[in-house]
Amino acid sequence: MSPRRRTSAAAAASIAACACALLATACGRSVNASTTSGEVSPTHGLVTTTAAGTKPVSSVTWAVYRPVNSLDPIFAFDYPENTAISLMCESLLLQSPGGEIGPGLATVATPTPTTMVFTLKPGVTFWDGDPVTPADVVYSLDRQMDPSYGGFYGQVFNRVKSIAATGSDQVTITLKQPDYWLEGELSSMPGIIIQKSYALREGKNYGTPSGGIMCTGPYEFKSWTAGAGVTAVANPHYWNSSVRPLAKQIVIKGVPSAASFTSGMLTGAIQGSYYFGLSNLSQLEHSSAVRVYQGPGQSTDALVVSATSGPLANVKVRQAISLALDRQAIISQVYDGAALMPRWLANPGTFGYGQSVFTAAYDKSPVLNQNLAAARKLAREAGVAGQTITLGTSSELASISAETGAYQQAAEAIGLKVVLKSVSAADYINFFTSAQARKGIDGFITVNYGDYADPAALLDTLAMPGGDQNYDNFSNPQMTALLDQAEGTANPDQRAALVAKAEELAARLLPWIPNVQPTNVLMLSKGLTGAVASFSYMFAPWADHLGGTG
Amino acid sequence: MRWRFLARRLAMLMGSLLVASFVIFGALYLAPGNPISALSGGRALPPASMHVLEQRYHLNQPFLTQYWYWLENALHGNLGISITLQQNVSSVIAARMWTTGGLVLYAALIIVVVGIGSGVVAALRPGLVDTSVLVSTAVTAALPSFVAAIILILVFSVKLGWFPALGNGTSFWSNVQHLTLPAVALAISSLAIVSRVTRAAVREEADREHVQTAISRGIPARQLIRRHILRNAAIPIATVSGITIASLIAVAAVVETAFSLNGLGAYLVQAAESKDLAVVQGISLVLVTAFVVINAVVDLLYAALDPRVTLGSRAQ
Repeated sequence: MSPRRRTSAAAAASIAACACALLATACGRSVNASTTSGEVSPTHGLVTTTAAGTKPVSSVTWAVYRPVNSLDPIFAFDYPENTAISLMCESLLLQSPGGEIGPGLATVATPTPTTMVFTLKPGVTFWDGDPVTPADVVYSLDRQMDPSYGGFYGQVFNRVKSIAATGSDQVTITLKQPDYWLEGELSSMPGIIIQKSYALREGKNYGTPSGGIMCTGPYEFKSWTAGAGVTAVANPHYWNSSVRPLAKQIVIKGVPSAASFTSGMLTGAIQGSYYFGLSNLSQLEHSSAVRVYQGPGQSTDALVVSATSGPLANVKVRQAISLALDRQAIISQVYDGAALMPRWLANPGTFGYGQSVFTAAYDKSPVLNQNLAAARKLAREAGVAGQTITLGTSSELASISAETGAYQQAAEAIGLKVVLKSVSAADYINFFTSAQARKGIDGFITVNYGDYADPAALLDTLAMPGGDQNYDNFSNPQMTALLDQAEGTANPDQRAALVAKAEELAARLLPWIPNVQPTNVLMLSKGLTGAVASFSYMFAPWADHLGGTG
Repeated sequence: MRWRFLARRLAMLMGSLLVASFVIFGALYLAPGNPISALSGGRALPPASMHVLEQRYHLNQPFLTQYWYWLENALHGNLGISITLQQNVSSVIAARMWTTGGLVLYAALIIVVVGIGSGVVAALRPGLVDTSVLVSTAVTAALPSFVAAIILILVFSVKLGWFPALGNGTSFWSNVQHLTLPAVALAISSLAIVSRVTRAAVREEADREHVQTAISRGIPARQLIRRHILRNAAIPIATVSGITIASLIAVAAVVETAFSLNGLGAYLVQAAESKDLAVVQGISLVLVTAFVVINAVVDLLYAALDPRVTLGSRAQ
């Protein structure tokens, strides 16, 4: 079970600074007509890209929720690092804005189920003009796998037996057993290719402010003043001649305060961002200085079930709470409209392959609407009236405590008692990392996502025995069989059918309870266009067509 | 006398730094969480890489060993390496010091010029001027800097567009422009206190006998104010200004965060959240030093203002 997910509890911690305070006159207002809140069709009203820019622009300041900590892909785990690295660096395979995985720096062939042969595209060069060689590829992947570097993605390569250069432009990965999920990982941070000689020269300094980086992308690393931001400039010798970057310079700047971010967008001090979880989004939507787009998201907002006994360990009680939950209130209050009602645990933006199979199955599944009568009936059958559940929360995190409040309401509506255990924002992360912190906690809120567009990327971690987010020891033979089979199934449509069945099962058994499916929010200053609008910006270049409007 | 004063102050500084470093190190060590899991965003790391990272940062050592290791390096001028940034703490501090220094200096200037100025004017011009200073300081004294920051951004950058809403500048003048709103936000409530104390001190001196005598002897007003009133009122004014300016160093963190400034205080908060021990230690020591130095300067100022005060004398 590879750890194919990230947790944005840390992210939530930092954006929780109340943006609502005084800036937002429109604070807490409900959904406006232009957004698609409550829509259930996977991509209705959502855009994956924006119209390509046509004019050069001299400089763009791009905001992330905190300063970038590292530019080394082995340490890239969170929004700021991913945003900066995917701007400048490229991976072996590439995720399109729609989530499909295709050739990146290399094309892939699978002559046998346990062999992956990567052929580098001709003419692929690093920023300094040197060609990308199989040695660079082997080095980059080895660096990800080798625990002595302390990287975060080692387990992704669990099924890999060996990685070797097998030709002047060829690298072969031999697997212990088939792993059709590895292609997805190699289109994300684990597949980023860096220059071997440069990384060896810089050693531990690689990816730090003093060491810099050497990659292949359309934007080239220029400078990084810790705190002031990472500056990338257009690479005039980009190997892919079909892309000519229009922005001369892009500065990735950490803006930890949501209020400060909002005023920065309104005054033009910030020209673009994928800032998420803004409770005053509609204020920006109504400004003439800013354009707000919503694209397919890949993250899931859910209640992690960590109860191994008690009411929440009972599937009927989970179903009852899920039926009693007021998800529309979460969409309007926490996301200001930028989220969809769920049918599955997976966000429909994760359908990166077998899309027709996924979409057909998804559309047949019921929307998780509120139904108090049905919820009470289930709770009576379970006979849990008067029993107590304990939810972990943090009153310092506005969105987390608002959602915990919605759960408290739902649980009380079906006759349960709720105890809240609130910790500091900084300690919220411990619910995920420490069994000690989870002791006595039946559930807590998360926003979670996988490394690539595949519903299984997240489901695998929480519904498989031994999965690293399977805190309630959830185990269902049918689920295990479906996911195991999917990982070894080559045909995308067949794999999608298996994963879809697993998702339908998860929507019934609720190993976690899905709350809402956040969309990906892109904000651009008026006069700018061309950035990718979907969540794939986290893993693949997003500013290839960013430029001025005509 | 002066040298002995300085030597004693230096010893005090060293003592404060040692105690502060131990207390901060211990508090952070005891606080729940782990810098490595903060680093990986809660991702469950493979045990092997966890082990490598713990060894790299000496996290598997007992508390006193870790502290001693840090102290020994610090005494050799090596403040350690930031776990999150993988950068020397001294360069992390150097990159941010000028922002915080500039911000505090700018705010101190506003406090001294506007605070003391308005206090003196209010004391010497009873009536409309006095009343309006009293009313406005009553309002601003109650304004915490984070509220002031939001109001200032809303009015002067979003609505009027006079000043940038966030970030640092690139040249001296653009830096001044970028720091103006933050400095005002930082100064505004302390300014009111300084103004009030100044007004009271000047009033008190103006009513004193020697001033009345001077008036009756026909000494010109300008000379009277400068030599007989302000000179004597200077001690309480210097005391309260010194304390408020020294306290700005701590409050700066709030303002830096509100304006997304790349300063020490804002980063201290961030580093403490991610348990980045070396950075928290380094920045705290800089702040403690600044605090002690400002207080020493105020003491020196006393001696310059009032010849009766001897440096380092004990309270009577």
